[in-house]
Amino acid sequence: MDYLVTILVLLVFLQTRIMDLRRAVYCLSAQSAIIALSCIAIGLGTGNIEHGLIPAVLTILVKVIFIPGAVLKIIGELKNEREVVSDINTNSSTVAAALFLVLGYAIVGRVMPDAGAKDVISASILMIMTGLSLMVLRKRAVMQIVGLITLENGIYLLGLLLTRGLPLVVELGVFLDVLIAVVVLVILTGRMRLSFMTTDTSIMKKLKG
Amino acid sequence: MNLDMTTLLYCILGLPLIFSILAAPGFLNNTLLHWLNRITATAVFGCMWAMFSSFNANEALILQYFYVDALSMWMLMIITTLYFAFAWTSKAYLDRDKNARYGYLRRFTHLEGRFYALSHIFVWIMLLVVVVDNLGLMWVAIEATTLVSALLVAFKFTRTSLEATWKYVMVCTVGICLALLGTIIVYYLQLTDVGPENPLNWLYLVQNNGQLNHDIAKFAFCFLFVGYGTKVGLAPMHAWLPDAHSEAPALTSGLLSGSLCICAIYVLMRNIVILLPAIGIDFISGLCLAFGLFTIGAAVPFVVIQRDVKRMLAYSSMENFGLMVAGLGIFVPVAMEATLLHMFNHALVKYSLFYVAGTIMEEYGTKNMMRIHGMMSQVPKTALFWLLGIVGILGMPPMGVFFSKFYILYGFFSAEHPVMGIIALVLLAGMVIGILYHVMRMLGGVPHRKSSGELIGTLDSAVLYGLLIFSCVVSGGISQLPMFQNMLTSAAQIVLGGMPV
Repeated sequence: MDYLVTILVLLVFLQTRIMDLRRAVYCLSAQSAIIALSCIAIGLGTGNIEHGLIPAVLTILVKVIFIPGAVLKIIGELKNEREVVSDINTNSSTVAAALFLVLGYAIVGRVMPDAGAKDVISASILMIMTGLSLMVLRKRAVMQIVGLITLENGIYLLGLLLTRGLPLVVELGVFLDVLIAVVVLVILTGRMRLSFMTTDTSIMKKLKG
Repeated sequence: MNLDMTTLLYCILGLPLIFSILAAPGFLNNTLLHWLNRITATAVFGCMWAMFSSFNANEALILQYFYVDALSMWMLMIITTLYFAFAWTSKAYLDRDKNARYGYLRRFTHLEGRFYALSHIFVWIMLLVVVVDNLGLMWVAIEATTLVSALLVAFKFTRTSLEATWKYVMVCTVGICLALLGTIIVYYLQLTDVGPENPLNWLYLVQNNGQLNHDIAKFAFCFLFVGYGTKVGLAPMHAWLPDAHSEAPALTSGLLSGSLCICAIYVLMRNIVILLPAIGIDFISGLCLAFGLFTIGAAVPFVVIQRDVKRMLAYSSMENFGLMVAGLGIFVPVAMEATLLHMFNHALVKYSLFYVAGTIMEEYGTKNMMRIHGMMSQVPKTALFWLLGIVGILGMPPMGVFFSKFYILYGFFSAEHPVMGIIALVLLAGMVIGILYHVMRMLGGVPHRKSSGELIGTLDSAVLYGLLIFSCVVSGGISQLPMFQNMLTSAAQIVLGGMPV
């Protein structure tokens, strides 16, 4: 479990540095694979294999294979595949991620001083906050989708750790929702490419007031 | 009798789904499609009515995944009434979109099936939200409504509607993810303080809610409030609301404003019932009152400077949601009943307003209120409904909203929040001035533009009249209508913590 968390934190930091859309999606896929592995690890730890295995298989199907596949397909149709170089450069978003990690440990130490797996909880807080910051700071539609899934993965990991997984029906529903969300976002990105000739979301600022 | 209830519930949940599966591929011809749509909605409306009239307000219907009590029944009534109105006004709206100068359907023939399928699925998921028995499933359904309605908001795929949809999906999904975090923390609370049986089951949690830990419950409630509050459209998380409401097709805007946002309030209420004993009333009440009043306050200036007719209605919706959340935060029976009644009135009146606004946009070919004058002389029928709806939504005496707003304000003063009550009154007065200024300019004066003629037909005016009168009769005469009165009283009691046995 410790190795998994270390790799996960590394991947999240890597995510803040990547500017190429395709690589960002690969990184996301790897991150989801780690989540699937930790599902199995936690399932083994509690002795309830089925409850660990079903979410793990679903995670692999939905978040490792289907979502990156769908996003890669839409990237294939785009011409200019890099993130727009923004004023807020990658360095500051990495520094922000580092701060989030420290913040995560601080929160865990204060709120649940006797919790067992502090590393995993702070890693999930890191993922939630980094996902949010990716959604706010990045301008490409695809990067925002990546941020959203990172955020979702973080919440999922936290839930996995706190409660050993949600009830199965709810879990299935959550996966279904993530699946539909990505389908909807991919459709919208495709239409955005047709209407605006770009997927840079910062040019959409007509609606105000 | 219990079996009958179950069958009726399954009918309500089954029919819209069957219809959308039939409509989605687009091989039904248009006449058949329109009639099937009307028959489905009318059947659902009839089933709901049969259920509503024979439902014992003090008992609950408990099935494996479903739990229906007076509160759910009240919400079902609101949603199915809108569904009924939607089905009987949709043909007129879609026909207009085909014929008018810039109708987006004129070049496509298969889109009607898709529009119907999406709308019915959307209503179906909202029906699911109010009848499932599990907090996790409620979350799943709320998130699903965002996604389905996103496709409806973007239905025209114009540049502005894409922008609105992108904002809508991003903001609401982040908000709803926070609500998931809150739900997970509630589950954690249940595991540590109650036990692993009946995970996240609402009834079970309510029966055992005395044992929950105070601090963690507060933590969970903050996430739930911000998460579902985003979906309600509370300021400062409201960025998506005016965009989505103004860019969606008028029928969808009506459903979004009338039923979707109050579904989020409903889920918030269910969560409050669970967490109330652990957190204590002061914290929840303070949060609801502060955010509710702030939402009204944030809406007022935007209404005054508004030029887009549907955005004006969207900000007026924000005002009403703010008032509902504030009314929820007062925690006295009279205000709680008024809040639930206000949900009903607002839904009916706002649906008809959005429909009329969509018609005005077609008649004048613009959304800009500054360019529309003299509706009274050019399009008298539309002008009549526009005036009636606006008078209704502002809460002037003969209309239904007057009663619910009045009781909520009465609640402020009777619960010893007089300062809050005065602030709310001042803000509502600002709203009245802002909206009436625009509406009177539109109705009166000398027409500068040619309109494309009266577009409201017999059928839609009958439906609009029906909605307005239904809201008037129910709220004005609620004490004379025991069926509604009992349902409303027990629903309010459920929110206040007295669940049915």
